[in-house]
Amino acid sequence: MKTNKKKIWIGCGILCVLSVLLSSWYAVAYNDSRLVVPMDFKDYVFDIKDLPMIVSLSLVCVYLVALFVMLFIHAGKKQRQAVETGVTRKINPKLGCLGVLGFLGFAGFWTYPVDGTVFPFAFFLFFGFFGFYYEGKMSGTFMDERFRENIAHAKLKAYRITFGVMIAALIILCQGKLFGNLEYTLIAAIIILSLALGLGIFLSEYLLFRYDHDDQAEEGGE
Amino acid sequence: MAEFECRLKKYRQMKELTQEQLAEKVGVRRETIMRLEKAQYNPSLKLAIDISRAVEAPIEEIFVFK
Repeated sequence: MKTNKKKIWIGCGILCVLSVLLSSWYAVAYNDSRLVVPMDFKDYVFDIKDLPMIVSLSLVCVYLVALFVMLFIHAGKKQRQAVETGVTRKINPKLGCLGVLGFLGFAGFWTYPVDGTVFPFAFFLFFGFFGFYYEGKMSGTFMDERFRENIAHAKLKAYRITFGVMIAALIILCQGKLFGNLEYTLIAAIIILSLALGLGIFLSEYLLFRYDHDDQAEEGGE
Repeated sequence: MAEFECRLKKYRQMKELTQEQLAEKVGVRRETIMRLEKAQYNPSLKLAIDISRAVEAPIEEIFVFK
């Protein structure tokens, strides 16, 4: 992405954060903290003083949606470029740190007893982002026919392992209620599926790196 | 299964090409040429033809299946 565009996106993000901070301050100072503190929306009646908070929150939502769409388009463009140039896409290995987001999955153990929310368990999927580290290490590698074969080989093995884990989990979980509770079975299913998918994402990159790296380690130069 | 023997190194050295130069000529990575010379990789028909043209030797002389 061009530096100018990046600056515009960062600037818009800062503006959104500032607008939320300002509207929150306004709501706390002049609007009895409405829409800042948790409130019951069943009895909600619109007040003109709510407008700054509503506008700023809408701005943040629009910004986040636009950001995700832009990132999606950008990723697709990079992938097409990689196919056209025959070189792997450029990624910073530090992006592998995003795998730490997988620990957010443990939030489910806190949210479930509080209000029965189970979706945070799906965040275990983010452990797969550790694969960005290996993808980053292979950035800009020329993809000749052997490298493409290695990609297919690594993906096939990763998918086989993922599929195996999913089938094993399905067989075990289909035996019946876990600890006599169907909700625990659902939670276990979410955790196992998320971890298995994360493993699939990670393994395809890790195995490709291993195949390529092992080849290089074995070979002597001339 | 037929045993695979690759005589690429001999023909490459006869043409006084380094692995890097040959790799560049046929559009692959140097590691692929190394693997080929060790007979640890079966090339595609296109790559085999490209290599044969690059070292100016017939395919059946470079890649031998016994």
